[in-house]
Amino acid sequence: MSPVIQHQRRSLPAYPAPLSHSRWKLWPGLTIAAALIVLSLAGLGALVWEAELPGLSEFWSNRYLRTVVTFTIWQAFLSVVLSLLVAFPVARILARQPAFPGRAFLLRLMELSLVLPSIVLVSGIISVYGRQGWFTGLANEWLGTSWNLYGINGIVLAHVFFNAPLAARILLQAIESAPASQRRVAAQLGLGRWWYWRAVEWPAVKPVLPGLAALVFTLCFTSFAIVMTLGGGPAATTIEVAIYQSLRFEFDAGQAALLAMVQLVICGFFWWLAARHGLTASLLPDRRVASHRSKAGSSIWARLGDGTALAVFVLFLVTPLMAILLRGLPGMGSAFFPDGTFSVNPALLDATLRSLGIAIPAGLMSVIAALLILASGTSQSRPTITRLSDVAAYLPLMVPPLVLGTGLFLLFRPSLGNSSEGLALVTLINAMMALPFVLQMLRGPMGSLDSASRMQADQLGVLGWYRWRWLHWPRMRRPLALAMAYGTGLSLGDFGVIALFGSPGQPTLPVLLYQQLGSYRIDAAAATGLWLVLLLLMLFSLFNRLGSPLFNSGLAPKSSRTVPEPEHA
Amino acid sequence: MLEVQNLVFAYPGQETPWNFQFSAEPGHCIAIHGASGSGKSTLMNLLAGFLEPQSGDILWQGKSLRHAAPWQRPMTSVFQEHNLFEHLSVTANIGLGIHPGLKLAPEDTQAIERGLDSVGLSGFGQRLPSDLSGGQRQRVALLRAILRKQPLMLLDEPLTGLDREARDLLRQLLLQQKAQGALIVLASHDEEDRRILADSVCTL
Repeated sequence: MSPVIQHQRRSLPAYPAPLSHSRWKLWPGLTIAAALIVLSLAGLGALVWEAELPGLSEFWSNRYLRTVVTFTIWQAFLSVVLSLLVAFPVARILARQPAFPGRAFLLRLMELSLVLPSIVLVSGIISVYGRQGWFTGLANEWLGTSWNLYGINGIVLAHVFFNAPLAARILLQAIESAPASQRRVAAQLGLGRWWYWRAVEWPAVKPVLPGLAALVFTLCFTSFAIVMTLGGGPAATTIEVAIYQSLRFEFDAGQAALLAMVQLVICGFFWWLAARHGLTASLLPDRRVASHRSKAGSSIWARLGDGTALAVFVLFLVTPLMAILLRGLPGMGSAFFPDGTFSVNPALLDATLRSLGIAIPAGLMSVIAALLILASGTSQSRPTITRLSDVAAYLPLMVPPLVLGTGLFLLFRPSLGNSSEGLALVTLINAMMALPFVLQMLRGPMGSLDSASRMQADQLGVLGWYRWRWLHWPRMRRPLALAMAYGTGLSLGDFGVIALFGSPGQPTLPVLLYQQLGSYRIDAAAATGLWLVLLLLMLFSLFNRLGSPLFNSGLAPKSSRTVPEPEHA
Repeated sequence: MLEVQNLVFAYPGQETPWNFQFSAEPGHCIAIHGASGSGKSTLMNLLAGFLEPQSGDILWQGKSLRHAAPWQRPMTSVFQEHNLFEHLSVTANIGLGIHPGLKLAPEDTQAIERGLDSVGLSGFGQRLPSDLSGGQRQRVALLRAILRKQPLMLLDEPLTGLDREARDLLRQLLLQQKAQGALIVLASHDEEDRRILADSVCTL
């Protein structure tokens, strides 16, 4: 028999991959992490250095500061409890009703809460729950209540709107990740809802809870735009807003620095507590949620009950969005067709370009930083150092962006000559703020290469750039586009750092909206809000397209099926 | 010549460590035989550099491979399953064995096409692994190992679970590789595989 395949044998692999040395994996990410730590410490340090820091005893004797800290903790605690109280039943219903019409739409709607600019949502909430709002009218007429949105009511309501969908997505993902074998056994035994919860759902949800609670607590604790607009005077002010007021109106850098440190200690304590109880990696929802049928939700009454509960939840989510749409549409007409012909309002156009000029670079920076940090995390050689880079990426969740911005402004003051340099600082801080979220989105896909594939790749010498190009990129393309959309979207809706550093004459879209709300140009504000939402939708749609396969090298399969998305995100 | 010298390895919590020792010449097939858990796959992973031994050495042509990374070792592994990258086409999967950046010369592409033809998979180049049967996947994996042209082939139960036709074809390919000077280390439960392919048997 003649040999089928004949060749000369090689001795060793002849094609070294570019960027395959371990230092390329480790050091760029570590450098970014070190820069994050240095920038955070430098920002805080510069503020402390410039300021006369009041003593702790002076702090406790100051009634205003005590009230601010107590209120911040109280509203965050209430927001966490109520968000979870809403999220638990919603997640359970979605888990046991995998096939109702509109489920995919509801899941997408729940994703919106991550990027919907809070200043825009607040305008929608005011339309529904404000003094003249639809809900207020009904409640006052039918129930005889005297509902007041401003103060803790509005703050917690807005926080629940933002965080309950986020928490529900994470809990749903946890429930869906319960082993199929457990679900099968539970179904065979015909477990009722309570025992199904005890046996299957609770064990799956329990490990996620500490991290989830810490995430929601931190988001509510550091909330700015919602408290700025719905807070009611000194009795309903959070630390973040107090920092803004100290810097903007009282020029008291010492008080701002002290408040920043209090925030850092409290948020840091909660993250430490969460980490001790097993902080899980999966803190942001996966876009793909598996569907499993459960017998617990199959009877007609169960489905009716679940449907009613979901309808109430959808109503809660949709009404402020509808208000944004309905109130914004008439204003959009005058913004885009002032004389019956198409011409964009120059103020709106300028603000849009300025917003995009900040948001796109910020999104890009956050994605690149996240990728490099994750790459350094996969390096096995120095586990302690790589863990440190991970911690550094979460620092922006704890250090108030206003403090960071002010500190860095003070630090770079001699060279920050014009407004464009100020905007560059805003871009940098926005990128840092988006980093923890972007990092969570990319963590799962980046680690989704299974061990068998890694072994194969190692042996074949598919390393460095080659591994990224052929093994990671096909899996990462969609998550990267989505992370870029989220990073850009978060920055586009930022109303924190920009409020402090932005020049009133050169507003971004959220600042323009705030200015219009402040001068009671409600129609114009509604139009700006709607335009901001539409811009976000266009951005997501654009990045979604960019995430789809763009080219076929001839080596990729011709099959129409797309590459399966990774399991985790 | 491949020399495995007192290669000692134990997983955490394992009381008695394994100690492997054997040698084999190019152009031979040494079959590793043993019950489940006897250390066959562990030995394969140690040879390939996926596991690090506690002591001992692996010599190839007199040079130590002990501290060489997997991609620096002159060998190719074929496992019982999970040999292919699921998101890449058959051609790309094989091509990665020829050039890790898939920079293939026209003669490489022709070699892949000829290879696919010779293993009965002509026209399958653009398919995804998930479109193939178990036997077809193993043929692709083995073709990649062959076209990678490394002198050592580590085969961990590569024929298990395949139908008679696929087994016969792959055995034929392996015999040809052996005849061309490849040293094959074959971990197999199957007595017929050992009888047809192996020149010597090492029992664990």
